[in-house]
This record gives sequence, structure tokens and C-alpha cells, in this order.
Amino acid sequence: MSTTQQAVAIGRGLIGRRPVRRGWFGGVHGADYVWAIAFALPYAAIFLAFVVYPICFGIWMGSSLALYQELFSDPRYLMTVANTLIYVGIGVNLKLFVAFLLTGFFIRKSWWTKALLVVFILPWATPALPAYISIHWFLSGTWGLLNSALYDMFNIDGPIYLNDRWMGLSANIGAYIWKTLPFWTVILLAGRMSVPQELYEAAAVDGATGLRRFKHVTLPLMANLYLVCTLLDMVFALGDFNSTFFVSGGGPAMSTEVLATLGIRYAFTLGVPNLGVATVMSALPVLLPLVILLMRKLRMSEGQL
Amino acid sequence: MSIVSRRLLLTGSLGAVAAGTLSRPYIANAAAGTATVWATQGFVPAEDEAFRKTVADYEKLSGNKIELSSMPFMALNQKSISALTSGDVPDLIFHDAPTTILPQNAWNDKLVDVSDVVETQKSKMTESSLLNSSFYNSVTKQRSYYLCCVKQGATPFHIWGDLVEKAGFKLSDVPKTWDKYWEFFKPVQTELRKLGSQYRKIYGIGLQITTVGPNDSTNLFNHFMIANGGKDIVTSDGKLHTADPAVRAAAEHSVNFMTGLYKDGFVPPEALSWNDADDNNGYHEKLFVMDFDGTLSTELASIKNEQAYWHEMVVMGLPNGNDGKPMPMQTGAGGGFIPKGAKNVAVAKDFMKYFMQPDVLNENLKGGLGRWVPPMVQIVKDDPFWLSSNDPFRKVYVEEGTLGPTIANYYGYNPAYGQVAAEQLWTQACAEVIKNGATVQAAVDKAFKRAEEIFAKVSFS
Amino acid sequence: MSATRAGSRRLHSKLHYRLQRYAVEAACMVLGFVIFVWSLTPIYNMWLIALDSHESIFSGSLYPMAPTLEAFRVVIYQDFWYLARFWHQFGNSFIVGLSVTFLTLLIGSLASFTIGRMRLRQGWLLTNAALMTYVIPASFLAIPMYRIMGIYDLSNHLSSVILALTTFATPYAIFIFSQYGKSIPMELDESARIDGANPMQVYLRIYLPLMAPALVAVGTYALLLAWNEYLYNFLLLSTPQSMTVAVALAQFLNSDESPWNFMMATAIIYSIPPILLYYGFRRYMAAGLTMGGVKG
Repeated sequence: MSTTQQAVAIGRGLIGRRPVRRGWFGGVHGADYVWAIAFALPYAAIFLAFVVYPICFGIWMGSSLALYQELFSDPRYLMTVANTLIYVGIGVNLKLFVAFLLTGFFIRKSWWTKALLVVFILPWATPALPAYISIHWFLSGTWGLLNSALYDMFNIDGPIYLNDRWMGLSANIGAYIWKTLPFWTVILLAGRMSVPQELYEAAAVDGATGLRRFKHVTLPLMANLYLVCTLLDMVFALGDFNSTFFVSGGGPAMSTEVLATLGIRYAFTLGVPNLGVATVMSALPVLLPLVILLMRKLRMSEGQL
Repeated sequence: MSIVSRRLLLTGSLGAVAAGTLSRPYIANAAAGTATVWATQGFVPAEDEAFRKTVADYEKLSGNKIELSSMPFMALNQKSISALTSGDVPDLIFHDAPTTILPQNAWNDKLVDVSDVVETQKSKMTESSLLNSSFYNSVTKQRSYYLCCVKQGATPFHIWGDLVEKAGFKLSDVPKTWDKYWEFFKPVQTELRKLGSQYRKIYGIGLQITTVGPNDSTNLFNHFMIANGGKDIVTSDGKLHTADPAVRAAAEHSVNFMTGLYKDGFVPPEALSWNDADDNNGYHEKLFVMDFDGTLSTELASIKNEQAYWHEMVVMGLPNGNDGKPMPMQTGAGGGFIPKGAKNVAVAKDFMKYFMQPDVLNENLKGGLGRWVPPMVQIVKDDPFWLSSNDPFRKVYVEEGTLGPTIANYYGYNPAYGQVAAEQLWTQACAEVIKNGATVQAAVDKAFKRAEEIFAKVSFS
Repeated sequence: MSATRAGSRRLHSKLHYRLQRYAVEAACMVLGFVIFVWSLTPIYNMWLIALDSHESIFSGSLYPMAPTLEAFRVVIYQDFWYLARFWHQFGNSFIVGLSVTFLTLLIGSLASFTIGRMRLRQGWLLTNAALMTYVIPASFLAIPMYRIMGIYDLSNHLSSVILALTTFATPYAIFIFSQYGKSIPMELDESARIDGANPMQVYLRIYLPLMAPALVAVGTYALLLAWNEYLYNFLLLSTPQSMTVAVALAQFLNSDESPWNFMMATAIIYSIPPILLYYGFRRYMAAGLTMGGVKG
């Protein structure tokens, strides 16, 4: 085996691909057990106190069959589902892919990269409401910054972006990516930074640098984290209504609505919260496999430790 | 909830006795208690101040305490719906335009019947405000009063008079029938654009032909219907009359006209996706010359801008319908309603009885700078504030909302109309014509079919 | 002859290597510029509006024509009716933000420690339970959450918001911590145990320091979640005194006055503390792993 492969094997071992692992000395017992339970108690308490009832109540709210019949009879529902699939599909995957690429950029040691990281964090730190409204105005056809710039600099009369379904949808996705990209980049960056230095050294000894090093050391070790982040972000993206609500407003003519905004519309504009919950729960057939996949991924990798 | 201190109770009752020159029989029966009240935050600070004063006056007179939380309009909707769904309700919710909440919750028997409160002032109130306060309860199977109305809103035209003049026109020349009234502003736009680069992007008409935003578009369309003879699309018995040829003709004419304005370039193209704030912004920035929007909040927001308020802005009431006859204004009612499960219904009702008295109501609305008009004709006739010519806009607005012919909103007739509004059916139809090239008949067909589906789900038997 | 050829080849490859490095450097600068413009454009728009006087907000100019700090002054001096309690609400934001961060990090790290390190056999129960939290998006759980806070008699207390937000942030923390935890070799823990440390000491002395990058990343997430969260803050708290600035910002949408310059100024001032906090803790992100005492 080359040194690189040995190093990666050690690395993988650390990450836990060896099937023998069983925790400290093969499992907790005795006094340790008490500690383990004690450490688990805070979260268990939170769960029992604040998750069980709301989730059960929420599921109960969305459980009447009549709600789903009503939902499917709404002419905009299918379009909304399509929008949501596009929104989540692109919004999550494009973003995480870019985040991953950016970790390579931000891990460099130059001073201006580090300074740029603070600027990069700004979209994440800005409150959602004003940020999205700012983007909405930026895209305004008549006096927004974008069209003003186009006119002043190139004498082009830009289109009315938010009057077109696809431009509106792209704007929503773009806004969502703009806001949340820094977050995932930071998470993945921290993951990348915790790849043990020794592995890189071993790979360098073996002559694997640059792309090969990336392919054989970085990629496998980050794969799990990347997958978990993708799955989690899909769950988050499904529930995000701020971006659509404030950037395109679901328009024009409700063609850019996503399930979250449609649900909120039912819950608070129409005043029928049960229907709102049903709207997001109608995404469960897609969401549940994701959640189960996530569960198995986490459990599987734990079981191997 | 805090406990009223004995001292407060004592001074309160003494105050009641001292001020009890006007005997108010209901106070004698109210037990001292505290009521939690949620209220809409005003659009201008003066409204909030006026409300707080009314509350303070009541507390002094009755010895009861009110725990007041005021919050923005949308937020109050969300919070009220959460409360009504979860059962954890305040004693009184005071809403400026509760069309989202009232019809549905009255239907589901989630509100307390307030007929006894309304009875105290019923004889003085306008018919529309009474109709706007009554809703059908599917459990008791009858209509009753669920809203204690203390204010009404109407929809005037807001016009930048200075822009009209710059274009070489006179507002006194404006035609007196609906369609021609709107069309008057077309040449205003054409002329203005000739005047220079600063008017490059100005539009004549701020038509809220949008599917975003809560109610502006439905309100607009309703008035187009009224102007075209289709006001009976929903009648007070809750029935939908889409089969009526007059209603259909009105709808088609309205959609045709509205989309025509847009397609001919007299409406900002952005209008298709305007949210609630965008049309206000547009008006303030003089991006268009006129619009048709509820209440005087647009003007009152600029009250500090003397030039605009006193010299440039103009408010006009309704012209006649297209048949040449006066058309009624569709008003909205605001006031207090009491959720079932409220802990202190007695104090809540007491407060509303107090509030609904003409002089109290009047003081409150005057304090709010007249953004809302009284639901009682006598107040308007008696208090010179309302019809005075000191203010450039109030007289017109009051004539529209209280004195002139008015009809009630459709939500009270049938909660299904709430869903029609939430689905933005009418502006959807317009959007179909504009964006998808549908014919007017096809678009109206589709809207009517959907409306029929929605109404079919609600049965009054 | 071969020497010179080898020599020239070395020289050639050195040059090649240098060119390659310059090209990469140049590409990075371009990328950096793109990131800079991309991140700042909407924020520039916010600044543009914040620096405008009330009249010229929608003038469509590319840079502030007559920049004025009036909006910022109004915010700082609480000179506008929506901002009457700005600093108090700012304080509330701090309380909520720091509490949620602390609780999330504490509870999340304890849970992932016991699941991932101590390998509690029933650990999978906790993981699945955490996942259940995400079955329904948080925005739709607002109503039942409102109900249950009422049942616990926590309505209108800041703690109701703190607990609700911690509930939503902790599962995420647990997942991320367990992912990071995998890069910490078990041998470290075991050698510490052999040395006589009890689990708490292992947690404090070994686990937490090595998890520093993850703690910073997740901590920032929790802080920003609590800092900018609107719906729960608003639903669970009824009085303006108890609200955070994120809720106060939403009031601006209620107005017909178009006070957008105030709103943007408020938002800008409000986004500064989390950035400062992030900047302060940033160096812990690069802690990385030391493999000192263990040879695998």
C-alpha cells in the first residue's frame, strides 16, 4: 500500500469505517452509565417538554383527509409543488456544492482571504426581513438598483424581473442562496479544517498533491458531513417562506409560490391553520424518505464506530 | 393577569360617581376585573394615542383594568388566529379590518355573541355597518352580531393634483362616470411624459392589479363590479350569483377594462407583483398620478409634508357607475370582538359598550386624525370636525363612507368570499389575460367556476 | 549534456510551477472579487436607502446623492415611534441570543458526547427524537408551541422563546457535533480514562477543546437564529417591552409612511453584534486537530 493509502486508511479508521468500534472500552458500564444518562437528560427533557406535544398536535392538525382533498382541488397546488421541487432541488444542491468549493478558497492562509470571510458572513448575519426586502427593491423594474445601473451604465431598459415566473423563481432561489450560503460554507469549512494535518502530510510524502490529494484525502473524509448537511438543508429549505414571501411575494399571479408560502397563506391570510399544516405535510412523502435516509446515515456510521 | 388593587378600585368607583353625571347604567353592574386586549397598531402615531386615551378614560370611569398590547396589522392576524386555534385567547381583540378572522371564526362558533352590546347603539348605526358586524354561525344556525363596530373604512381616489395640472388638465373636468373617470388619466400620463426626463417613467394609473398583498385587489375589483352593475354577485343571504348574466357581464367588462389599462401601458408593469407596501411607495414617490386605495392613511402619512398635504394631494369620492347612476361605496367595519373562552367577557363587553357610545367613538376617531369614519350618521352631522373644510380631504371621505350610499362587504354574507379573496381569483383572471393571453371570457369563466366550487363547500343548512 | 537537459528541465518546471501559482493566485483574486460583490450588493442597497433622506429613497440613483446619517441618528436616539424602545429590545435580543446559544451548545454537545463518545446503547433514541423535530417546519409549529407555552404558564416570558428556539436549534447541533466528533480518535478519551479522568473531565478537557471549530460554527448558527428570528419571538411575547428588534423591524411594514431609511438603518445597526461576536471567536475555528499523544 502506498503511504497515501495507508494514511487514508488510518483517516478512515478515525472516522470510523472499521467495524469493530464499540465506544469506550467496548461500552459504558458502571458509574459511567450514570454519567451517560445524565448527559442525555437535558436533551431528553427538552424533547419531552417541547417537541412531543407540538409535533403530535401539528400532525393532528394536518390529519383530516378532507384537508388534502381541498388542497388538491386548489388549482395552484400542483404549480406550487413544482416550484418547491425546483426551489429545494436547486437551492440546496447548488448552494452546498458552491459552499464546498468555497471551503477550498477560504482555507487558504492569506490575510485578505480571512478578511473576506468576515464580509462573506454579512448576508447571514443580516436579519432576513430587511435583507429580502432590499433584494425585492433591488430588482424593482422601475427604480430598483439593478435596472438603474443598467440604464445609467449601458443605457439598457431592464425587464421587470418579478413579472416573470422563471425570473421570479430564480430571484427567490438566488436570494435564499445569498442568505444561507455563508452558513453552510462555515460548517463545511470547519469540517475541512478538522481533517487531520497528518493525513495531508502523509499524502504529500506519497507525492499526492493538489487535485489528487483532494480526491483521495479531503473528499472521502468530508463526504459524510456533506451528505448530512444536504439532507438537513432540504428540510430547512422546505420550511423557508421568508425569501419567497418578501422577494417575489409568490407572484406574479401566484406562480412562484412554494409550499411554505402557500401554507402560511392558508394559515394566516385565509385563517385556516389546519389547511396550512396540511400543505407542508403534503411534502412528507418526499420529506420522510429524506429524514429516514438521514437517520440511517447517522446511525450506520455510528454503529461502525 | 394582575389583580386590581383595592385602592385603584376605590378611586375608580369614586371617579365613576364623580363623573357619573351622565348615568351609565351598565357600569353599576360590572365587577372590577382585568381584561386583556389586543389591538391593531395604528398607521400613524396619533391613532395609537387616541386608542390609549380611550382605554385610560374607561379605566378611570369603570375601575376595571385593561392590559393592552398593540401590534401591527398582519401580526395581529397571525396572533389572533394562533390564539383562536389553540384556545389561549385574550378577552378582546380590536381589529381595524377583521375580514380574515371574523367570518370563519363566527361560522365555527368560536366567538362570543355581542348582540347585547350592539343593541345599545343599533338605532344610530348605518345599515352597512350593522351588516358588516353580523355573521352566520353554523352551529347555532343563525346570523348574529359578532363585531362591535366603532369605525368604518371607505376607499377614495388619491390623486396628485399638481401632476394633473402640470399635464395641462383640470380635475374639475374629470368625467362623472366610472370608466371615463379612469380614462381621464391616460392623456395625463401622455402629456406628462412629454415634459422631460424626470417624467420618463411616470404612469397615469396605479391600478393594484396584483395577486400579492392582502385585500387591495379584491376591494378594487369589487368596486369595478359595483360600477358595472354587478354588485349583487353575493347577496346578503350568502348566495353566489355567478349565473346571473348581469353579474357575468359586469365581471367581463371589468376584467376587460382593467387589463386594457395595463396592456395599453397606463399602469406600471410592476403592478402585477406589487406587495402591500409597493403601491403606497409608488404613490408617495409620484410614480403614478392616481390610485384607488382604502382610507386616508396615504394622506395622513404625509401630514407633515405641508406642500404635499395642503397643495398637491387631492382626494375624490366615487363617480357614478357606468349606467350614470350613483354607485354605492363598499365599506369595511372595524371594532372589537370577543373570542370564546375569554376569561373576562363581562369587562370586555363593558369596554365595548363604553367605546360604542357616540361621543367616545367620535373622540377616538378624531384623535386618529379621521383615518376612519364613524358608523353613525348623527355624529357626522353634529360634529363640525367631519364636514369642515379645514381639512382638504375629510369631507369627501366622510361623504363616501357615512353619508353617501354604501353597501356592506361580502365577507359577512358568506365566509366563502374570504377564500375567494385569499385566492385572489379576480386578479388571477386579469393575470391570465395579461400574461397567458387568455380571452376575457375564458378567464372570467375559470374564476367563476372556482368561486362556485368554493361557495359550494359552504352550506347554510 | 544530460546534466544541462536535466537542469533546463528543472528550470522549466520551476517556471511552470511559478506560472501555475500566479495563475491560481489570479483566479483566487477574481473569485474573491466575485464573492465580495455578490455578498455586498443587497447590503449596499440597504446602505443606500439608510443613507438617503426620506424623500429620495426611490430616486433610483446608484449612490447616495446627498448622504445623511439622519436615519442612524433616529435609530440611536429612538426618535421614531416604532423605535421608541429600540435599546431595550436590543437588550432583549442579547438575552435571547446568548441564552439560546449557550443552551444549544451545552445540551447539544452533551447529547452528542453521550451518543457518539460514550456510546450509550439507547443513544439512537435520542437521535431519532431529534430528527422528529424537523418533520414539520418550525413556522407551522408556531400555533401548538404557543399553546404549550400557555399550558406551562410561560406566556409572555422571554424564557418561552429561549426554550422554543433551543428546541429547534439543538437537533441540528447534535447532528453536526456527531459528525465532527468522528474525527476525534476514541483513543484520546480512553487514554484519559486510564489516567483516571471521569466522563465529565473527558468532556471538558478533551472533547470540548477539540470540538472548538464545530462549537464556533454551531454557536454562530444558534446565535443568528435567535437574533433574527421573528415568528416565535412575536407569537410568544405579547408586550412591546419584551420583544426583540427582529420583531420591531416587522412593524415597519405596517406603515404607510414608507420609513424605509429608518428600517434599513435599524437592520444595519442590528447586524453588527453577531458579526463582532463571530469575529471575536473566529480564531477558534482554525484550531484543527492535534494528534500529539496518540499513534494510530
